[in-house]
Amino acid sequence: MDVAILFSVFVAGLALGIPVAITLGLSSLAYLLFAGMPPVVMPQKMYAGMDVFVLLSIPGFILAGNLMNQGGITHRIIRFANALVGWIRGGLGLTNISASMLFGGITGTAVADAASLGGVLIPGMKKAGYPADFSAAVTAASSTVGPIIPPSVPMIIVGALSGISVGKMFLAGAIPGILMGVAMMVTCYIISVRRGYPHQPWQGWGEVARSFGGAIWAIAMTFLIIYGLLSGYATPTETAVVASVYAFIVGAFIYRELPIRKVPGIVADSAVSAAGILALVGFANVFGWILVSERIPQAIADSVLSLTDNKFLVILLINILLLFVGMFMETIAALIILFVPLLSLSNAVGIDPLHFATFAVLNLMIGLTTPPVGVCLFVCANIARLPLAPVVRAILPFLLTNILVLLAVSFFPPLATWLPSVLTN
Amino acid sequence: MVKHVDRFIGAVVLLARIGAGLGFAVLMGAVLVQVIGRLSGTSPVWTEELTRYALLYMVAFGAGAALRSGDLVNVDVISESLPAPLPWLLRLLAALATAGLAIFLLSHAWRYVSIGKMQTSPALGIRMDYVHFTVWLMLVGLAVFALLRVIGMLSGTEDGKPHRPEEE
Repeated sequence: MDVAILFSVFVAGLALGIPVAITLGLSSLAYLLFAGMPPVVMPQKMYAGMDVFVLLSIPGFILAGNLMNQGGITHRIIRFANALVGWIRGGLGLTNISASMLFGGITGTAVADAASLGGVLIPGMKKAGYPADFSAAVTAASSTVGPIIPPSVPMIIVGALSGISVGKMFLAGAIPGILMGVAMMVTCYIISVRRGYPHQPWQGWGEVARSFGGAIWAIAMTFLIIYGLLSGYATPTETAVVASVYAFIVGAFIYRELPIRKVPGIVADSAVSAAGILALVGFANVFGWILVSERIPQAIADSVLSLTDNKFLVILLINILLLFVGMFMETIAALIILFVPLLSLSNAVGIDPLHFATFAVLNLMIGLTTPPVGVCLFVCANIARLPLAPVVRAILPFLLTNILVLLAVSFFPPLATWLPSVLTN
Repeated sequence: MVKHVDRFIGAVVLLARIGAGLGFAVLMGAVLVQVIGRLSGTSPVWTEELTRYALLYMVAFGAGAALRSGDLVNVDVISESLPAPLPWLLRLLAALATAGLAIFLLSHAWRYVSIGKMQTSPALGIRMDYVHFTVWLMLVGLAVFALLRVIGMLSGTEDGKPHRPEEE
């Protein structure tokens, strides 16, 4: 009965449009009151949820991404990507995807990627003769590689929830992220050839070298972050703060496009964004604690294992569940609520936790582009000034591509686990 | 009247952003001291604790502003697709529910703050009620921003939708 109250209030809160963090708080409070437990448990668990060492790195990575974004990185990355692939049929679509892969190494959030690159590339693609729905769809779909290629805010949260090393998580995302980007480029190329989309003339190796010279400082940040984590010399928090300082120096003194007077505002914006995520984590920790004390993870594991203990079927079932949930729930909230219960299930059938964490994050990122709650879909449809329906239709081939990559990563664990095992041993 | 409400809301937003930004600046400073200390071989022991507490103060000040900017994550596809004036009413209900939750929890959070009086942090040696206070402050921030949204909606200065900082 108490658990029924928990879930009823949660579903009703989401349906009424109450923010997810508050909905988690309301449902947890309703449970505590009905179960006759003292509400002082709530602030206690919220505090415990937010006071986790690994979470300290979230504001730093958000700030580094925002400083880079405001410091003139967007057009440099687009220029470099365009010099590399713009000459191929459907070149601007390919530029869009490869720029997302490079940008993903800086921001760690898909929405920032969709908004920054979409703001430049969607109008640019429309002007070059690409249909608006295709332009929005390719931007939304490719933005999902952002939180898979390191750094990644969802992966930091997974690290906090499971104790898996954040460095290993970041590395585990590298190959799936690149695979996803390459697969989307192939899809984009096939569509472009069939529909006769335009391409630009080859600009020569000189332009590739010049544009690389402009983008190298930003691209180097990804390697700085990975080196910081892998060398064992810096914690994720230290790496994030050093990356922020690096982004400031690049934006203000190398690119000279980041006015110093804008920095306090960017710091405040980043602090507020990070505070939102951490408040969500705090409320979700109460909800998660209730799930664990009601033995819901165990019940889920038992009920699935009573149907099958076949590892491959369990992986398939987990993926179907996460894809379904990802359609309706925000990524970080879904991760916080479902990760621990599903980790118990995956442990029970012998799935490597690092492998499970990688395909779970990949899966939930796809949810950012599925209706009705795909945030990146909304952002891109809005920039393209289109209703949602045509963008949803145009994104279907990319969605299918991403699901195929998800299945490859789910059923072939070395795609996630090989790189961390090689580089951390 | 509308002008005064607008000005008051602006002042509260500014205060929250300054508080969150300062918390973040302290966090950054402590981490940089830690990094420089490690490079010079004299890493102080208190930096990790200060970093964690600075993060909690950043959240305490920033959570209310995050409610205003939509960073607490709004899943409003269904509610916003309903015929008028239902979306407006549901936004008002969401603000009231947020304020109600935060205000209800205030006294319980204060009890949690009081428990901290009996503990001190190991490295900095500060009383833990100053740290537990961040949860209470976060709830105050959520209550204030939710109530400001209610006042703003009823006085006609806002429609209850998230406000991005550049719109302020």
